[in-house]
Amino acid sequence: MRRLTDNWRSTTARLILIYGAFFALWGVLVIGAIHWQAASYLSRVSDDLIGRQVNYFSMLDEPTRQIALSDYVSLETRRLNAWGLFDAKGAPLGGTIKALPKEVRVNGPVVVLPDGLSRTDGDDHGSVRAAAVRLDDGRILLISRDTSIVDRIGAIIFQALLWGLSLTVVPGLLGGWLLTRGPLRRVHAIREATLPIMRGDLAQRLPVSRRGDELDMLAGIVNAMLDEIERLLGEVKGVCDNIAHDLRTPLTRLRARLYRLQQQFDDDSGENESLEACMVDTDALLDRFRALLRISELENQHRRAGFERVDLVEILHEVHALYLPLAEDRGQQLELQLPALPPVQADRHLLLEAFSNLVGNAIKFTPPGGRVDIAARSADDGPWVDVSDSGPGIPVDQRVAVTRRFYRVESCRSTPGSGLGLSIVSAIARLHGFTLEVADGERGARLSIHCAVADIS
Amino acid sequence: MPRILVIEDDDVTAREIVAELVAHGFEADRVSDGNVGLARALVPGYDAITLDLMLPGLDGLGVVTQLRAQGIATPVLMISALGDVDRRVSGLRAGGDDYLTKPFAPDEMVARVDVLLRRHRQQAQQTVLRVADLELDLVRHVARRGERELSLLPTEFKLLEFLMRHAGQVLTRAMIFETVWGFHFDPGTNLIDVHIGRLRRKIDTGEHQPLIHTVRGSGYSLAQTD
Repeated sequence: MRRLTDNWRSTTARLILIYGAFFALWGVLVIGAIHWQAASYLSRVSDDLIGRQVNYFSMLDEPTRQIALSDYVSLETRRLNAWGLFDAKGAPLGGTIKALPKEVRVNGPVVVLPDGLSRTDGDDHGSVRAAAVRLDDGRILLISRDTSIVDRIGAIIFQALLWGLSLTVVPGLLGGWLLTRGPLRRVHAIREATLPIMRGDLAQRLPVSRRGDELDMLAGIVNAMLDEIERLLGEVKGVCDNIAHDLRTPLTRLRARLYRLQQQFDDDSGENESLEACMVDTDALLDRFRALLRISELENQHRRAGFERVDLVEILHEVHALYLPLAEDRGQQLELQLPALPPVQADRHLLLEAFSNLVGNAIKFTPPGGRVDIAARSADDGPWVDVSDSGPGIPVDQRVAVTRRFYRVESCRSTPGSGLGLSIVSAIARLHGFTLEVADGERGARLSIHCAVADIS
Repeated sequence: MPRILVIEDDDVTAREIVAELVAHGFEADRVSDGNVGLARALVPGYDAITLDLMLPGLDGLGVVTQLRAQGIATPVLMISALGDVDRRVSGLRAGGDDYLTKPFAPDEMVARVDVLLRRHRQQAQQTVLRVADLELDLVRHVARRGERELSLLPTEFKLLEFLMRHAGQVLTRAMIFETVWGFHFDPGTNLIDVHIGRLRRKIDTGEHQPLIHTVRGSGYSLAQTD
């Protein structure tokens, strides 16, 4: 049903509807005019005829009139004609008309009696036209003619109009519906094709048929735009990756030189200490480049071939055990509360990396003496894993930005870190079709991964 | 003196590897082609091989596959510019013993080669590891420092086992994280330090001489000092 209403929303359909309406209106006008013209012409003809006949009958002498009147009736085999003779007071003297109708004025013009006349040989069924004349002897002669035939012609013309309209409008609408169906099916195909593009898969293109019509031209324009966007994004990403990649080699060499230099000094000399500081900085740089390359590596990874059934509970226990000493050293509580969870389709190592990042982050941003909770809850569309902390939280307006590369919440700039941890988590989540949600916890921030049970195709 | 075969086509990287190995007292030969490398590796005489995965001629995976097919068990450290888990897995599955991503710190590379050599020599099943008065019984799962029995968590036990198996060698944080936990991502230096710190507090208490040493800029080493 939806598709049907969708169909009528297209441009072609609207044109066809407007055209159909105009056509119907025009047809009604034309047919109406024809009907009106024909009816008035026929009426005029019969009025003329009746007027002339009544005059003719009044001028004849009595015996000839009797013959003429009987001819008048008998020659018209459809019994459309009738006459009646009445005395001056209106009492019937002869003929088949029973009474003199009030509407008819003697020696007056032809009048229309829409309901017909009562006749001894059977009443009229439609309207009649009638005229009366006073004869020389004072009697009144009334003659009438059934003109329902004129109305019937009107009806025939009206029927012709209906047939004509239906024969034009019905195939028109049907044809229009068929015409719009093709383009609409292609619009649906285009919509299908855009879904992966909107999800970030810029390699997809809109379908283009061989017809080369408006839709194809549009699709072509959009595809050209996508080509350009993909090229630019690829360039930007390539530049980033190249910088990260190319700088890593000299940085690694620099670190090696510093290391060798450091070996030449005594452990507790001042030179050793400054060289150690240089190496810590170099390591931080290298870590950052490694993380950057890791993200683009994750983003380039589209396949899910390495996915297996992974036990979330086991992974979270491992992460908990890995980070518990770190939390305890900082005087924090690291709590784990897990219900039974169904296994998820995932890459075990990547999930470990993601949850490690989340827990490591939470510990880092929670002040000593605070608390970090790892919890999970099941839902119909896949389990949720929540990592909540009692740190400062993430302001609402920065919640989307924190998953961006290098983004760091303003108030936490003093905490060491690359600002890439959540980007890695986000990239891993995206790779799995999972979502990373940043929200308020009871005390601080709560970061959740929704392991949506996606259709693995 | 252990002899190492370096199969690496990039001259700069090869020079670095060879220099570092020589500096640590190894003898190193370098070849730059996969087929030549395979031919050399098939002849006995090398104690370990560093193998670049992208090579002209026969690629690294091919070299290690054929090597293992011929029954040669020389330990192989694979070195690649590509670090994703899949390549690591396929490399190790083909018969590599360890995997290092370019660019690498030379001391990390040497530490790994050192561990490979030791692991290779240590094939005989040891059930009790001993360093000074520290004793680790792998069968009964008991750790002892002198007379005192140590209560260790499972992870701490594995960590100590790794350190003791490679006593006297430098173990980098990445090597520890990969071997003890089996994870291949970067957890940040702090995390491993904290775990080592805990183990250290249990082992190196007051009256005993410290056994776990921090190697500045590299990692850790468990050794008896004189």
